[in-house]
Amino acid sequence: MDFALNKEQELFGSYVRKYLTEQGTTNIARAFINGDRQRFDQAFQGLVELGYPSINVSEDYAGMGLGLLDMVLPLEEMGRSVLPGLFLETNSFAVPLIEKYGTEKQKQKYLPAIADGSLQISVAWIEPKGSYKASSIQVSGVEKGDDFVLNGVKSLVADVELADTFLVPIRTTSSSHEEGISLFLVDKAMIKNVTQQQSIDETRKLSQIHFEDVIVNKEQLLGELNEGDNILEEGLLSFNASICAIMVGCMAAIVDMAAEYAKIREQFGQPIGRFQAIKHAIANMKVDLELSRSLSYYANWAYDTAAEDRQESIFAGRIFIHNALQKAAAANVQIHGGIGFTEELDCHLYVKRARYYEHYLGSRESYYEKAAAALGW
Amino acid sequence: MDFSFSKKEEKFRQELRTWLEENLPQGWLHGDRELPEDINEYSRFLRDWQRKLYEGGWGAIAWPKAYGGREASLIEEIIYQQEMVRVSAPPLVNYVGIHMVAPLLMQMGSGEQKSAYITKIISGEEIWCQGYSEPNAGSDLTAIQTTAVKKGDRWVINGQKVWTSFGHLADRCFLLARTSKGEKKHHGITVFLLDMHQEGVETRPIIQMDGEHEFNEVYLNDAIAYDSDIVGEIDRGWQVMIALLMHERTGIGGQVFTLEQQFQDLVTMAKEWTEDGQSVIKKESVRNALIDLYAKSRGSLLNYYRNLTKTLKKGQPGSEGSLDKLIVSEATQELFALSLSIQGPHGILWKQDAAIGDSYWQNKYLYSFGMTIGGGTSEVQRNTIAERILGLPKDLGR
Ligand SMILES: Cc1cc2nc3c(=O)[nH]c(=O)nc-3n(C[C@H](O)[C@H](O)[C@H](O)COP(=O)(O)OP(=O)(O)OC[C@H]3O[C@@H](n4cnc5c(N)ncnc54)[C@H](O)[C@@H]3O)c2cc1C
Repeated sequence: MDFALNKEQELFGSYVRKYLTEQGTTNIARAFINGDRQRFDQAFQGLVELGYPSINVSEDYAGMGLGLLDMVLPLEEMGRSVLPGLFLETNSFAVPLIEKYGTEKQKQKYLPAIADGSLQISVAWIEPKGSYKASSIQVSGVEKGDDFVLNGVKSLVADVELADTFLVPIRTTSSSHEEGISLFLVDKAMIKNVTQQQSIDETRKLSQIHFEDVIVNKEQLLGELNEGDNILEEGLLSFNASICAIMVGCMAAIVDMAAEYAKIREQFGQPIGRFQAIKHAIANMKVDLELSRSLSYYANWAYDTAAEDRQESIFAGRIFIHNALQKAAAANVQIHGGIGFTEELDCHLYVKRARYYEHYLGSRESYYEKAAAALGW
Repeated sequence: MDFSFSKKEEKFRQELRTWLEENLPQGWLHGDRELPEDINEYSRFLRDWQRKLYEGGWGAIAWPKAYGGREASLIEEIIYQQEMVRVSAPPLVNYVGIHMVAPLLMQMGSGEQKSAYITKIISGEEIWCQGYSEPNAGSDLTAIQTTAVKKGDRWVINGQKVWTSFGHLADRCFLLARTSKGEKKHHGITVFLLDMHQEGVETRPIIQMDGEHEFNEVYLNDAIAYDSDIVGEIDRGWQVMIALLMHERTGIGGQVFTLEQQFQDLVTMAKEWTEDGQSVIKKESVRNALIDLYAKSRGSLLNYYRNLTKTLKKGQPGSEGSLDKLIVSEATQELFALSLSIQGPHGILWKQDAAIGDSYWQNKYLYSFGMTIGGGTSEVQRNTIAERILGLPKDLGR
């Protein structure tokens, strides 16, 4: 019985923390919001040098061949900083799928480039007014010789500017069932028409991608034709294990922030942290944080070891941790009073990121359904 | 990270399991778990069970061998609790004796106290209760008003204790009394090992909201104790209380494992309970509430394991125990509240009219309200978490 991360994992987490602290933590996100990518690019390069993007790429493709559990602490640090970027999409969603379903050629093309930080992947899944359900996917792919011709619109695509390639579920048959969805790796060079969308969470730049007779070679199909839905489901396991970790990081920063402020801010002649309305609100956040952390570690362990209860652990974990984060982020504003309502402090960054994650790559409701299915209810 | 137990630990588990199968009261494993109604028979039954555990070498496994223990490791204690929960073993009537009084006496008791009490505790011959709370002293134990005054070679004790669990069955009481007025409120308190079988001690039942009688009022009218009944030093009982905390190695493990099992029982109930011919687990509201609870009860267990790992590495428990206590007591309360909601309008039926069996869910629901009060209220736990773990300023008045 040993429920703790190991020394190497702790050490790696502390390197990332030290590095992001030097880089100014949330100031990276603030610069990014203001259109200054340079700070982010620099931070990204630093993380590449520390080896982050190579962690879960297998050794055959120039990676470290480690698992999700080895990414937990770095992700927590990224959550603390509300760091922009496609870390989850690239390493936690695309890498496991390319490793499992990719052709040799695809692996050669993508994995070493991901590992050395020269390539990032975003996910273009949902469509205007659509849902994440397979039946909602309307962007069509029509076979033409060695190619597929794609038409339609994807919405809410994260950080097109940072991405080099997109994972795109496409309808490849006319029926509107799960079957009939295929997953393509579409390189950015093929995409011509992108329009920006304003998002509450400005640390993520969202866009619509307009596919207008976009030609994609068959070699870019990931996995079997019409099997895209199952492949996406598989990707959601690793993605959600990692999103648990990043949300825990956000929460950890919130608890620190709230506790610090409650110690120094005085009203009625005493620190506000002495008032139990404040003190207990912070204790509740702390309880939720520790529960979340335990659930996150376990979810990632369960993924890496293919434990029997991995699905329910990951999906129920995501639901719990997201609820906890959303509550903590809101309470943090209240605890700070007027200054908490401003752009000046970081409180709002966490509120907005929490909102972003609520339905990202799967609605909250769909995760209840998936958890229930995994539990056999 | 590794959730498995070693071969040696699993062997220990198997040995205990086999022993339990052979020694649990007749019919127990097959669900015949009725405890006697009559108070004397009830007491006899639980003492017999304690004696049987003792004779089998399972009475107090963490204790030194010299006292009848087996010097079990922390992990073995955990396994012990898991196995006891697994078979819903009869309650440990002498919890206070085994987990508090005896370990404390081993550490700081006199030779006389050790030989007088420890063996009788493990064998179930003497049951102990805990006399802390009073009408005017609950969360704030420094406010106790029970006094002990030295007259000749005797200490004469007067006052009232309340909420004394198993006080009506107990032979002796681990009692806090005020022996002087210190400059600070926690000075001047002394710990006595009080004989309950004397004229000056009167025990009156208190009926709880679940209709049961587990705790009591204890009136002390010129009750007598001697110097030899004092633990630690006179007026320095507070240090004894702090020393006691260090003996809570396994924390609330038993409650965590119980919660895990109760959650499984709840799911089974939700599957079997039908409304208009359909299992209620298919209702979205029920299903979602169960998933929230799944995360919370799994989280309780995992968090407990995470803290246990820390205790194993550091050699002693930290302040995280207050987190675990808060989490498991609130989750248990939520669980039983949901169990009644699931039964719809019929959830209100109680006792022989309850829709399911012996009114298990209704009784547990009512009982669960005590869990966030006894052993330190949730509010007090939140203070501890905020102050000890997060370093927030102390409460007013302290
Ligand atoms: C099932 C059960 C078994 C028990 N067994 C025993 C036993 O064997 N022996 C024994 O001595 N006692 C026992 N108790 C008593 C128990 O320890 C006390 O009930 C508990 O400590 C609370 O004290 P109180 O009831 O006086 O409530 P109070 O302390 O009066 O509390 C009332 C309310 O005020 C809140 N409050 C108090 N102080 C603060 C604060 N500083 N900050 C915020 N809120 C505060 C409390 O949280 C609570 O909500 C038992 C209780 C229960 C429920």
